[in-house]
Amino acid sequence: MTGARPRVDGPAKVTGAARYAAEWRAADLRHAALVTSPVPAATITAVDTSAAERVPGVVAVFTHHNAPRLRPPVGAPYGGRLPLQDNRVHYEGEPVAVVVAERLEQAREAVGLVRLDYAPLSAETDFRAVADTAVPTPPARWGPADTTVGDLAAGIAEADVVLRAEYSTAARHHSPIETSATQAEWRDGVLTLRDATQGVFNVHAVVSSALDLPADRVRVLAEYTGGGFGSKGYVWPHQVIAAMLARELGGALRLVLTRAQSFTSHGYQPPTRQRLVLAATAEGRFTAIRHDSLSPTSTYGEYVEMTANGSRVAYACPAITTTHRVAPVATVLPTPMRAPHEGPGMFALEVAVDEVACELGIDPLELRLRNHAEVDPTSGKPFSTKGLLACYAEGARRFGWADRPRATGSLREGDQLIGWGMATAVMATMRFPAAARARLHADGRVVVEAGCQEIGTGTYTIMPQLAAEVLGCPPEQVVLRLGDTALPRTGMTAGSSTTLSVGSAVTAAAEALAARLALLATGDPTAAVRLDGIELTVKNGAVEVFRLDELFARLGVDSVAAGGSWEPRENQRSMHTFGAVFAEVAVDVDLPVPRVRRLVAVYSAGRIVNPLTARGQMTGGLVWGIGQALLEKSTTDHRLGRFVDKNLAGYRLPVNADVPDLDVAFVEEYDPHASGIGARGIGELGSVGVAPAIANAVHHATGKRVRSLPIALEDLL
Amino acid sequence: MIPAPFDYTRPTTVEDAVTALRAGGAGAKVIAGGQSLVRMLQRRLVRPTLLVDVGCLSRMREVVEEPDHLVIGATTTQHELLHDARVRAHAPLLSLVARHVGDPAVRHRGTLGGSVAHADPAGDPPAAVLALDGEIIVEGPRGERVIPSAEFFVGPFRTALEPDELLVGVRVPKMGEGWTVHYEKFRLSAQKPTLLGVAVMVRRVGDCFTDAHIALANSGSTPVRATAVEVALVGADVTEEAVTKAADLLDGTMEPFARQGVSQAYLAHLARVLTRRAVVAALSW
Repeated sequence: MTGARPRVDGPAKVTGAARYAAEWRAADLRHAALVTSPVPAATITAVDTSAAERVPGVVAVFTHHNAPRLRPPVGAPYGGRLPLQDNRVHYEGEPVAVVVAERLEQAREAVGLVRLDYAPLSAETDFRAVADTAVPTPPARWGPADTTVGDLAAGIAEADVVLRAEYSTAARHHSPIETSATQAEWRDGVLTLRDATQGVFNVHAVVSSALDLPADRVRVLAEYTGGGFGSKGYVWPHQVIAAMLARELGGALRLVLTRAQSFTSHGYQPPTRQRLVLAATAEGRFTAIRHDSLSPTSTYGEYVEMTANGSRVAYACPAITTTHRVAPVATVLPTPMRAPHEGPGMFALEVAVDEVACELGIDPLELRLRNHAEVDPTSGKPFSTKGLLACYAEGARRFGWADRPRATGSLREGDQLIGWGMATAVMATMRFPAAARARLHADGRVVVEAGCQEIGTGTYTIMPQLAAEVLGCPPEQVVLRLGDTALPRTGMTAGSSTTLSVGSAVTAAAEALAARLALLATGDPTAAVRLDGIELTVKNGAVEVFRLDELFARLGVDSVAAGGSWEPRENQRSMHTFGAVFAEVAVDVDLPVPRVRRLVAVYSAGRIVNPLTARGQMTGGLVWGIGQALLEKSTTDHRLGRFVDKNLAGYRLPVNADVPDLDVAFVEEYDPHASGIGARGIGELGSVGVAPAIANAVHHATGKRVRSLPIALEDLL
Repeated sequence: MIPAPFDYTRPTTVEDAVTALRAGGAGAKVIAGGQSLVRMLQRRLVRPTLLVDVGCLSRMREVVEEPDHLVIGATTTQHELLHDARVRAHAPLLSLVARHVGDPAVRHRGTLGGSVAHADPAGDPPAAVLALDGEIIVEGPRGERVIPSAEFFVGPFRTALEPDELLVGVRVPKMGEGWTVHYEKFRLSAQKPTLLGVAVMVRRVGDCFTDAHIALANSGSTPVRATAVEVALVGADVTEEAVTKAADLLDGTMEPFARQGVSQAYLAHLARVLTRRAVVAALSW
């Protein structure tokens, strides 16, 4: 029933009709602008806001001296420190004062006039230089910090080839087009936030607890969110600031982060240092995998990049040991970024596999086939559904992998060395409880409601498809309302979880609605119903056709509604999505800059609800992976303790001209275990495995083994 | 992203434009396609008090053919350079270079005169004009003046134009018999500016180079001629070996305005490789 359906929100977004958080008008709207710390660690010794307060239009200037007091937030991940509560600075870019003015220009002008004196404290920003690393305590759904199965030493002892290598990935920033923004309104004791967020309920939990407001006095809305990639998942100080100052001043207040502030205000993907031991027999059987990961966290909170998670499940191996350590540094807290954990982690593992393949003289795809994991090698559980072998086969066929010459540097076109590489993609499936409501109106409209977010992935398009599938009506007859804490509760739109979680709840709600309609029409809730316009066909032995207006008039109702929910249950299955990524690169023989010439990627991700939006997710992920492989890097100036390039001129991203044709396919699949609709998560999977496929292709082209991202010119000279 | 306040005038004749520039004094700035200036205005890198918009001066958008030269009006767009039959026939290097400027939208607005007057050391058209031994025609309160391109570019974003002078055209020699051209451009990624550009005009008679003009973009604070390579090529045999030998004379003392994080050694290597490739490509033009 479901199928390729173009994005229903496309026209609104392209024409500008879609309204984002910072685009709502209010007669009494004021503008807030942040003063941020220029140093990474300090005590603020003096504050002078008098010049800023004299700027025409300035309403108030807040610092830790006069800001309202806050309570520790609970109920959702909060990535910052509580803003303006003390005179301490824990990272460059931390908000230390806020100007509120009638106009944005006035606020920005006054920001430059706020005088703060800092007594700098010593600050380490280089995680590799931190001596006291810590064992993290990750959230349960990410798994434990360390795992061990089997006898690592024995596995190494029986191996013919043992690779020991260190890999690293760069700090990266999410940089969605819409910079984070919050518009807060305090009216009649009720706080309403319009927020650029991936989780309205998270914002609700943090703001209501920090401001000590009853839950029913806070409402958070996000009709559209202009990209998130993880930066809008956790809640951050700017959201608390907007809420706090709206309540303090009354009326409406808008806070929009500048692009530069977006580099220090809502986390980043931490750089990683990963050490791999990969042992194999001459026949190409893995006997031991050890993956040790180190990444920075902040000095005030904990985030751990679980880069070794992929190594726990990727290959059949009798001995697998993984560890994660964190090094506190003076930066804002790192945070998940598409794709967290496996994104940086599979780079190390999949390059290591390629290295072992070269060492053994076995084709890299063949080596992966020989070590294919039929069950999760760490937990021992069966996979919910796994179509990776089909991904390998179809990907290899599309790419023409069978024609790959083994020797490096053996493909050449003019001044270009050509290389072919591949990698496996693995991503843990994240699931959240979700609820939804479906309401049928007498004119035939079905309104589905769920408090999730549309971050550019296709939620507005897909959910109506799922409801329509149950009700038998065209998807155009169904509209989705989302992004509102007044709607049924869902998890955040993160971790590639929304389609499978909310989709399962929407399906349940539509099924409940169908049963209700069957009951009301015929007295039998099990009768099959089919909706088409305002005609409701009910099959209960005989086939009866009702006009909705007549039926509802007879029942004395305007509409009929039903709710549904879905909750992930422990089912003793290991749940992951999989893929095979094949890359062709060209490296100029004299000027060894690598350029990607084509990518082929085939995925196993359960049922694909909408092939069009799914393809959009995967091609976006592949482009994201090209950025990770070749361009994206946030460099820290450790002397100043700050990121160097806080703009999109210095922080390089791929643009269309950097991206070749991308060939994406899915294997046919239905996963009965992962969700109520047969789907697993896809959004982040597309960015996994791309960088190692490219790095392996670069090796095939040049013979140069690159173990750090992004691949730099110096690596290939 | 909001420019500082400025006044705006759109004169209808070159004379009025010059008068406006003079009246505006040091705060006056010429705008044509705006493809470089508007971005600088938005970031307040420049804060002119008066913009003199010459985009509507039809006289400045003409291409005039003289017996031995083409005079290309300053507001001729990059798109027009790419497609104008006379430019393609008589100054093909300018057409080739235009293809490397921005994207189609930029090329429809960006102008040759604007690019030359902007004098970005990494700009592609200035290097081509320098390789062509072009002349810059300017109008000012003291009348018309012709500045050789070798004297026009004096520093990063700095030219020999006086504040009250208007660049009205670029005069280039028509390409003669036996000449071939090429422009080789290198970028680290698609949205990065030129890391190095090499504009080449060579003339061969039989198996021998008889003349060579080579200019480099982003290899100094202005576009520069690779004189040593030019000298070495003239009289040399048309062989890849001779070209390589000549290109290797680039000495690596270049100081690009925008280094883009690469080393001096790589830039020198890049210049030698691109120069060799540009000359070889010109030969098969």
